[in-house]
Amino acid sequence: MNALEVKNLSKSFGDLKAVNNASFVVPEGSIFGLIGRNGAGKTTTIRMMMNIYIPDEGEVILRGIKVGQEFKNKVGYLPEERGLYKKMKVLETLLYFAELKGVTGKAVKKKAKEYLERFDLTDRIDSKVEDLSKGNQQKIQFISTILHDPEFIILDEPFSGLDPINTNLLKEIILEKKKEGKVIIFSTHLMDFAEKMCDHIAMIDHGNIILNGSLSEIKQKYSQRNVSINYEGDISFLNGHPIVEKVADFGNTTGITVNDPGQIQDLLKLLVERGVNVKRFDAHDISLHEIFIDLAGKEEDILEEVKNV
Amino acid sequence: MFNYRAIAVIKRELREKLMSKAFILMTILLPVFMIGIIGFQTWIMSFEGDKNTKIEIITEDLSLTSKFESSFNELSFVKDTTYTVSFNTLSSAGLKEYIDSKKQLLIDEKLHGVIFIPDTALTNKEVQYYSKTPNNRTITEKLEGPINKVLLDQYFSEKGLSEDELQFARMEVDINGFKVSDEDEFKEEGFGNLILSYIFTFLLYLSLIMGGQMMMSSVQEEKTSKIVEVLLSSIQSKELMTGKILGGAITSTFQMAIWLIPIILLISTTWFVLPPELTLDITLFHLIYFLINFFLGLIIFLGLFGTVGAIFDTAQDAQSGMWPVMLLIMIPFFISFSVLRNPSNAVAEISSFVPFATVIVMPGRMVAGDVPLWQLIASIFVNIGTVLAIFPVAGKIYRVGILRTGKKPKWSEVIKWLKFKY
Repeated sequence: MNALEVKNLSKSFGDLKAVNNASFVVPEGSIFGLIGRNGAGKTTTIRMMMNIYIPDEGEVILRGIKVGQEFKNKVGYLPEERGLYKKMKVLETLLYFAELKGVTGKAVKKKAKEYLERFDLTDRIDSKVEDLSKGNQQKIQFISTILHDPEFIILDEPFSGLDPINTNLLKEIILEKKKEGKVIIFSTHLMDFAEKMCDHIAMIDHGNIILNGSLSEIKQKYSQRNVSINYEGDISFLNGHPIVEKVADFGNTTGITVNDPGQIQDLLKLLVERGVNVKRFDAHDISLHEIFIDLAGKEEDILEEVKNV
Repeated sequence: MFNYRAIAVIKRELREKLMSKAFILMTILLPVFMIGIIGFQTWIMSFEGDKNTKIEIITEDLSLTSKFESSFNELSFVKDTTYTVSFNTLSSAGLKEYIDSKKQLLIDEKLHGVIFIPDTALTNKEVQYYSKTPNNRTITEKLEGPINKVLLDQYFSEKGLSEDELQFARMEVDINGFKVSDEDEFKEEGFGNLILSYIFTFLLYLSLIMGGQMMMSSVQEEKTSKIVEVLLSSIQSKELMTGKILGGAITSTFQMAIWLIPIILLISTTWFVLPPELTLDITLFHLIYFLINFFLGLIIFLGLFGTVGAIFDTAQDAQSGMWPVMLLIMIPFFISFSVLRNPSNAVAEISSFVPFATVIVMPGRMVAGDVPLWQLIASIFVNIGTVLAIFPVAGKIYRVGILRTGKKPKWSEVIKWLKFKY
């Protein structure tokens, strides 16, 4: 069962085609990752899903019905660029955002206080937002995203700019909400996070969806010829070896692609013969990162971007 | 468009603005400031800078000189020694030489002026004034009247007129204005309404600009701090804009109502008594109309200022981009100020129906003179029409602009936004 269906969405700004005929589905109860480089069209796609932008073409179907205002009330949205009213007090801020979703009353106030306690912010309840540290402001922003108990949680680059504690906190919330059966959609250019958290992904590049589906299926499909190893010793002899298509060093692990799936055992044998101390040999394993590089172009570009994060 | 979400926005705007120190301060300070300006001006005016003025009056005839002397010594500003006037008798032939002898005194301003009244002045009232600063109107205006009086006396004394007749000749015409209206009585009207019409125009001008600036910076804050994207995930841009405009309009109208309280008390109670030439001939209806007009004007201009705020990324760019809206307020303001002396002149009448201008011109006209009811109603319809005409456009620009960042857009680009499907 699909919670959301994105059908043939297109959006242009003047001459710039931001999103081109994008289609994918978000299954119920899943964590869905929209993956792509900066400027690939992720935010525009999300804004169209949120009905913030009206698509030039295409539509977004929510459980069989075209999205509209009622969808907004069911969504908690954490935009990439976050903002709060600086002069507003913490509790006021939370209640205001909930009120815009149509949630008011004592219950929500109580819940806001519970969240503040859980996030260790009880003593800041009457502080102005501007008096909070950046990390605490981020916490307020998360709380405001989920306070009205949304069925859909849409997070645009949720981990960018977060300190490690808040990163964990957010992961915790995401997994907790998943257990509650909520649908979580997030966009990121960080493949590691997507790989660890998502059940389903859609990969977008230059406004086009270049890949989408269940992460495990995708990995299976792309990993037939792939091995991921940890080792000690020298493997430079593999470069240019007839059974090896390419070697990619990721630091901790190395990804090796052979020319034919049947050659994986040969590879292991070769390594042992050459005296390489193999610590880990994972056949049919490929990182999302590798898939992305394969599909979306030059490795240098992407590494450059990862460095910039 | 107007629903619980818009109401939530209105509530937040009101909480934010009505409770702010800036609002309370401005509500108190503006009237103080206005009264201060008027007081300061009066105070400045009282320094005419003509203390210790030394003047010499010369005539060609001894008896005329003595008449000047006795008449001038009765003048208050001579009695209190603000002016020291000396007198001399000299024929016009010797004048040049005499002035030469006084030249250094005149240049050093130890003597401020020499007034020569030739005999011919009794037929043509031409008088000569020698001074370092002959254009200093303070001195000449003060002396004109007294000189004229002596010349008149002299002239008519030879005609054998009685003192009564002379008294009549000296009198100036005093025009008393009576206002003709549908009412049975013709009321004598003073300057009160004219002053009030200036005050109304001024208040409108100032409040629209102040409210507009606040609106603009508030939209800017939401845009630059990216709150707007969070907001738009809950609320439509139309609702947000509606809420913000109404919130701002209610705040400013409330403030205006506070400022009107003294006027309401003035016309509805007998606690204060104004001198007859300043009495106000307005009713509560006028004040209510004024507030309704102001409210509609706010909706129009706050909408425009908010739109400008949405177009630009930084407050600086927005300041430079708001001139078209400022002109829509300033031009009617200056028109209004220049036509109020004659509230039924054609420019005033026409401009009081022109969109945007009517907001500022009509209330002043209404107070300064009698404006038929249908014109007031028509003005309200013009305002409503303006709202209906500009909001689809302003709303669109707002919607596109508010999420747009990057380099400062040109006006031509802004017009292109209208074609975007948003």
